[in-house]
Amino acid sequence: MAIILGLESSCDETAAALVTSEREILAHALAGQEEAHRPFGGVVPEIAARAHVEVMTPLVAQVFEEAELSLSDIDAVAATAGPGLIGGVMVGLMTGKGLALAGGKPLVAVNHLEGHALSPRLADPALEFPYLLLLVSGGHCQLLLVKGVGSYERLATTIDDAAGEAFDKTAKLLGLGFPGGPAVEKAAQTGDPASVPLPRPMVGRADPHFSFAGLKSAVLRARDSGHYTPEDIAASFQAATIDCLVDRTARGLASAGDITALVVAGGVASNSAIRGALRALAERNGLPFIAPPPWLCTDNAAMIAWAGVERFAADLSDPLDIPARARWPLDADAAKARGAGVKA
Amino acid sequence: MMLAIDTATDACSVALFDGGKLVAERHEIVGRGHAEKLIPMIAELPGKGRAQGIIVDCGPGSFTGLRVGLSAARALGLGWQAQVYGYSSLALMAAMAFSDANAPGRLAVTIAGGHGEMFVQRFTRKPFAEIAPLASLTPDAAIAEIEEPLLIGNAAAELSALSGVGEARDIRPRAAETMLLPKAFRELPPSPIYGRAPDAKPPQ
Ligand SMILES: Nc1ncnc2c1ncn2[C@@H]1O[C@H](COP(=O)(O)OP(=O)(O)OP(=O)(O)O)[C@@H](O)[C@H]1O
Ligand SMILES: [Mg+2]
Repeated sequence: MAIILGLESSCDETAAALVTSEREILAHALAGQEEAHRPFGGVVPEIAARAHVEVMTPLVAQVFEEAELSLSDIDAVAATAGPGLIGGVMVGLMTGKGLALAGGKPLVAVNHLEGHALSPRLADPALEFPYLLLLVSGGHCQLLLVKGVGSYERLATTIDDAAGEAFDKTAKLLGLGFPGGPAVEKAAQTGDPASVPLPRPMVGRADPHFSFAGLKSAVLRARDSGHYTPEDIAASFQAATIDCLVDRTARGLASAGDITALVVAGGVASNSAIRGALRALAERNGLPFIAPPPWLCTDNAAMIAWAGVERFAADLSDPLDIPARARWPLDADAAKARGAGVKA
Repeated sequence: MMLAIDTATDACSVALFDGGKLVAERHEIVGRGHAEKLIPMIAELPGKGRAQGIIVDCGPGSFTGLRVGLSAARALGLGWQAQVYGYSSLALMAAMAFSDANAPGRLAVTIAGGHGEMFVQRFTRKPFAEIAPLASLTPDAAIAEIEEPLLIGNAAAELSALSGVGEARDIRPRAAETMLLPKAFRELPPSPIYGRAPDAKPPQ
């Protein structure tokens, strides 16, 4: 059995976790920064980086203490090396390198997106490759064919905003606060999803990609019309987003070939209405549906430790001079989607 | 053993001391490459740099560089169960300048800051002490503040050219010189000295 320490600091959560190859989460700790960023209505990179450096080592000490383990007991150190806000990524990566040198342990530099992509296998031991993954997070909206550890084929991506970004911008437009995803989901519960006519960008198109910018503009017009409550707009926005995600994922399923399951991961996957709609889609296609528990969908270090477990088991580790990367696509061979505001 | 780490400037600088005596150092101008170079440079030191004490440059300096050095120092401290302390980049530069027998009794350290400002701090030689707290000043305000005959740091030349007074010398902090600092000056908490608030304004 291998024990891996995972470190995460690529956006606005600082996190550390100890996870075993038997899928046991021995300890995990997370420090969010919502309060610090709230006045700005979004994550401020320099504020994020300053917070990461203060709390990263205390979190590492905390998980070792909770698990009653020390550095000598673990097999490798896994740290997010990108993509993300580079100042924050460096804090976690340097902490990982320092621990790896001090303990004489291998370093596993983890792609944050691979952390999301493999997290369903931490949650579900039965999930085998290849599976179709809808990765929906703050910075990404992609359909990926997950063929194995380190082996990803991107079938679709967003040509403008990510799904989580659309939730965050909608929350901002409606004055629902920060972070936006949970706020929109909550407001949507008391709104009428059929009240506001909103577009469904890309739905029905042969082109496989996603688009959310037009939806966001329509939300702005609906708000400015003064005809609708924020709850009705939130519910209608969420319904339109679900229609887009389901249509595009259905198209992806049709082109994915033989797969074991439909899987969703990333922060937006913690939305229960979205999970429900994707579950129904999987059932219509006779496929198992796998979604990690909500806390494993948003950023955390257990998923980074787990990606470390999988890479370590495949004999993959990295030299101590490995750079931090602001951009790092999972599928480096994927053609650029037209109009894509390249995020990775 | 004591390990010193300095990544506050474009230099990536590490040194190992035994009983205050320099055992080995690595010093390279890396620009922005600290995150790649630092740990391999420590690993090249005798015993892979292992020490019971670590001192690290807390700034002011490159925000990213400071965080690279501090993250590494704190992680090594945790892993080796070593004490981690900090020092000020400006204090080290002052101590390095004062190590020259011909240096005057007072000097001002000036390094480039952000938004056209510079970080300024003035020091006396005997006893080694700061005359005033660290300040981030416009060039005009810096000229008004500084009375010292020697200006050091990467903004020194610009400032003495502007004011027409003072000798200017560029000095970079170097890990191997940290023992020039009196002990109290290398026992700061290992937290960044940014000298400036983050650039971020709440939306109107
Ligand atoms: N209940 C929810 N409903 C919809 N969106 C949500 C919900 N909870 C979180 N989100 C969204 O998930 C995003 C955060 O997810 P995550 O932490 O995975 O993203 P990130 O790490 O910022 O981006 P990336 O992983 O692409 O680098 C935010 O955009 C947030 O609004
Ligand atoms: Mg994420």
